[in-house]
Amino acid sequence: MLEQGFLKELGEKIEQGIAILRIYNDPEIYELERKRIFARAYIFVAHESEIPQPGDYVVRYVGDESYIVIRGEDGRIRALFNACRHRGMRLCRSEKGQAKTFLCPYHGWTYRNTGELIGVPAEKEAYGGRLDKAKWGLYEAPHVESYNGLIFVSLDPRAPSLKEYLGGMTWYLDLLTRRSSAGLEVIGAPQRWVVDVNWKLPAENFSSDAYHTLMTHRSLVQLGMAPSDPQFAMYGTHISAGNGHALGIGFIPEHLPLPPFLGYPEPVINALKRNYPSEAQVQVAEKMQFWHGTVFPNLSLLNAALPIPFLTFRVWRPMGPNRTEIWSWFLVERDAPEDFKRRSYETYVHTFGTSGVFEQDDVEIWRGITAMAGGPTAERFELNFQLGMHFQPDPTWPGPGTALPLDYAERNERVWLREWYRYLVSENPWQ
Amino acid sequence: MISPELEREVVTFLLREAELLDEGRYQEWLALLTEDVRYIVPVQVTGEVETEQEVSMNHLDEDRASLELRIRRLETPYAWAERPRSRTRHFLSNIRVYPGERADEVLVRSNLLLVRSRGDDSQAEWISGERQDLLRRVNGEWRLARRVVVLDHSVVPVRSLSMLL
Repeated sequence: MLEQGFLKELGEKIEQGIAILRIYNDPEIYELERKRIFARAYIFVAHESEIPQPGDYVVRYVGDESYIVIRGEDGRIRALFNACRHRGMRLCRSEKGQAKTFLCPYHGWTYRNTGELIGVPAEKEAYGGRLDKAKWGLYEAPHVESYNGLIFVSLDPRAPSLKEYLGGMTWYLDLLTRRSSAGLEVIGAPQRWVVDVNWKLPAENFSSDAYHTLMTHRSLVQLGMAPSDPQFAMYGTHISAGNGHALGIGFIPEHLPLPPFLGYPEPVINALKRNYPSEAQVQVAEKMQFWHGTVFPNLSLLNAALPIPFLTFRVWRPMGPNRTEIWSWFLVERDAPEDFKRRSYETYVHTFGTSGVFEQDDVEIWRGITAMAGGPTAERFELNFQLGMHFQPDPTWPGPGTALPLDYAERNERVWLREWYRYLVSENPWQ
Repeated sequence: MISPELEREVVTFLLREAELLDEGRYQEWLALLTEDVRYIVPVQVTGEVETEQEVSMNHLDEDRASLELRIRRLETPYAWAERPRSRTRHFLSNIRVYPGERADEVLVRSNLLLVRSRGDDSQAEWISGERQDLLRRVNGEWRLARRVVVLDHSVVPVRSLSMLL
């Protein structure tokens, strides 16, 4: 049992920029997270380009539960719990495909790709006409909604709309997802791998931590794969967009000769000028040298130029207090020049994902923290989240939320933890 | 026809190459590659009937320049994922040698089991797959011109592919 008072004390400490190491490897906290965060919040499951045709599906996880994310014959996207309604057998055992129907290998109950139960072997003889098939369709997640092609699921019937949930973050997501009117496409399939890491560490890191680039990623500065100033990631804006969503946008400092608009090819730049909803977004994009952020709780996005620009989405899928499955997608504007798509893809594979020279070192750090967090010393070991606590918000910032004038700050981590804490202690996080 | 002598040369080459990787002698390993080498580890996706190789997404997709960069990185003091360096063991078996399209090339398929152990972690990690190699004779010596590693995993069971397969 979590001792009485631990959570209350933690809540107070977070306000002072302090966390307790234990939260990164604790089975009871993980149990709370499963029920109070992953069964409530909007969880990213797929990009619409992964399931373009009716019948296309991918099998994805909401927390630790498997859902079939499928575009039905009727064109609607659903998230169907991947269990047969008869006896609970896992229905779909592939990772993706095309299906008009799903057949359960146990007794042969068959469902249409809209979830409806359409076939029961020996129905007349064995059920005597008393089985009401309309009542035994697949379980459908109550909220499946998209924003600019990103599909999210919430298992909480009380949840507000996705747009309301994302709030001010949509302004920032637009910077990444609305460059082209043709939209983004996922190239191939996501890379998946399993690491001994608590899922919160990468989620917080992407939301907030520009500071670590100077040491964790020092090797890449030395090799010229990152800008030559080791503190390159300091120059920027540290934004909390509301509802726990947060990001940093790096701006090109005067002493670094970096191209405007991240160095995207001209057709993409021309398109974004037409497609962004506001002129303020065009101006932000012009000066941007990177974008890192996390949609609460566990979708992170990164857009950077190393030196070719690339875009990756990643989900930190919890598998336990000290185990996470990383899902890493590469996306590119569908109508970008083919040679650019190729170079952007290569940059992604070399820097992030399973073998990425940046990501390898991040995983080493997150593993190391998780390994230290499981014991009795960690239960009272305080962590310092006070970087940039003296910064005042920038009143001239044109976007929504609160923006600090330097990206070397831990405000986003504090904001992330505060939201995490709110979910853990709230009976109803939507009130 | 593949003669027993040729087969022996190929096996000797592969064992030598594995030795260099396991001992961290990366510059010597680089010398075993052709200038136009390609090194690819495709993402595997479980389909309804068979596992499908993702043609457009890979875990590694390298040429000589990118492999050299990865190795230069390992030689900096800041490559934390491999500092201290992992202990690795490449186990190669089921080596089959087939004629290549050119007289100076052979195709080699082999099974790979790679075991990695790091620090004081008693739990070793392992990863397995099939190597599909193209070897070419350059100035009388065998060189690796292409390697495709078909993994047995759709979800990669190791913390990172910081080591070469």
